[in-house]
Amino acid sequence: MSAQQVSTRRISVKRYLPDNSTEPYWQEYELPVDDSTSLLDALNHIKEQLDSTLSYRWSCRMAICGSCGVMVNGVPKLGCKTFLRDFDDEIRIEPLAHFPVQRDLVVDMEIFLDHLAAVKPYLIDDNPVKPFDPKAPETYRQSPRQLARYKQFANCINCGLCYSACPQFGLNPEFIGPGAIALGHRYNLDSRDHGSTQRMAELNRHEGVWSCTFVGFCSKVCPKHVDPAAAINQSKVASAKHTLIALFKG
Amino acid sequence: MDKSTSQRFVPLKRNWWLKLRFFKLYMLREATVLPLVFFLLCILAGMVALLQGPESWQRWIAFMGSPIVLLLNLLALAASLFHAATFFVLFPRVMPLRIGNYQLPDKAIVAGQWAGVLAVLLLFIWLFGRASV
Repeated sequence: MSAQQVSTRRISVKRYLPDNSTEPYWQEYELPVDDSTSLLDALNHIKEQLDSTLSYRWSCRMAICGSCGVMVNGVPKLGCKTFLRDFDDEIRIEPLAHFPVQRDLVVDMEIFLDHLAAVKPYLIDDNPVKPFDPKAPETYRQSPRQLARYKQFANCINCGLCYSACPQFGLNPEFIGPGAIALGHRYNLDSRDHGSTQRMAELNRHEGVWSCTFVGFCSKVCPKHVDPAAAINQSKVASAKHTLIALFKG
Repeated sequence: MDKSTSQRFVPLKRNWWLKLRFFKLYMLREATVLPLVFFLLCILAGMVALLQGPESWQRWIAFMGSPIVLLLNLLALAASLFHAATFFVLFPRVMPLRIGNYQLPDKAIVAGQWAGVLAVLLLFIWLFGRASV
């Protein structure tokens, strides 16, 4: 099928309008699609042409901003990176799982942001480089090999798909969760950072890395191939080492 | 409207793992422990029988040879191999190995673990071969 060939598709969207009803309901839309229609294109078409009351988040439409995450047939996906041509049967769109729903496809991600802040996802350095002096410039030095250690985990866009994929987070929202732990681990692996002891207090506890049972679905759904499950389980190794060392130090 | 009252939250149901094939495979991996527990109880009973004397040892040998016990232990073996297969693939993701500047490829780590299984298997074949001579 060429991109110009237009056909009609039906998609079902789980609506929730708390001003009208306390119960969510399914609504079906029929819209023209071609080979290049993304799910985000479809939602935009619905909003602009069919039903202006539909609410959803989006911004960049190129898998950078991480705003347009939704459940597609029960699997968390970015709307902009999902194409209708890849679905043969029905397409059912729901808000991201495991988060409170505010309206239609818009969820409240505050708990994820709280967990993210808890792992201090920024460079911690007791002796940072001095303020820039043009006469004697001083910068951090990092070799390509040092960069390679954490680069994969730095690709996270905070879209939250991994939280919707994680049954442990679904069962216990206090679990710091895949995305935040992956970012904490990213800074622990950074040669410029000296904050791993501070982060250990958050990571090495039941609601930290030890809530993970390596289901691994977080890594499967990650649109940026961060592999948060690997990050969490590498963090378990680091946490176990930390506990052992603390035990012998007394 | 107040934010907390207007928000809808759906708690995860106990049957969450039945919804996707990925989750079913995960539960299968976790369930491999059940037949393994049976095998370990068999071994424990064997040690108790050994302490109690030749008569109960013979009874234990007969118990281990009964078809249902053989079947359950074959299931335990299959479950352990399945668990090993899933575990070996996860290993390089959890503990990526580096020798100097060289990052060992994932496939080499997985192959190394299977080589370890083979080595243990050969060792036991050799041991049992010596014992039966």
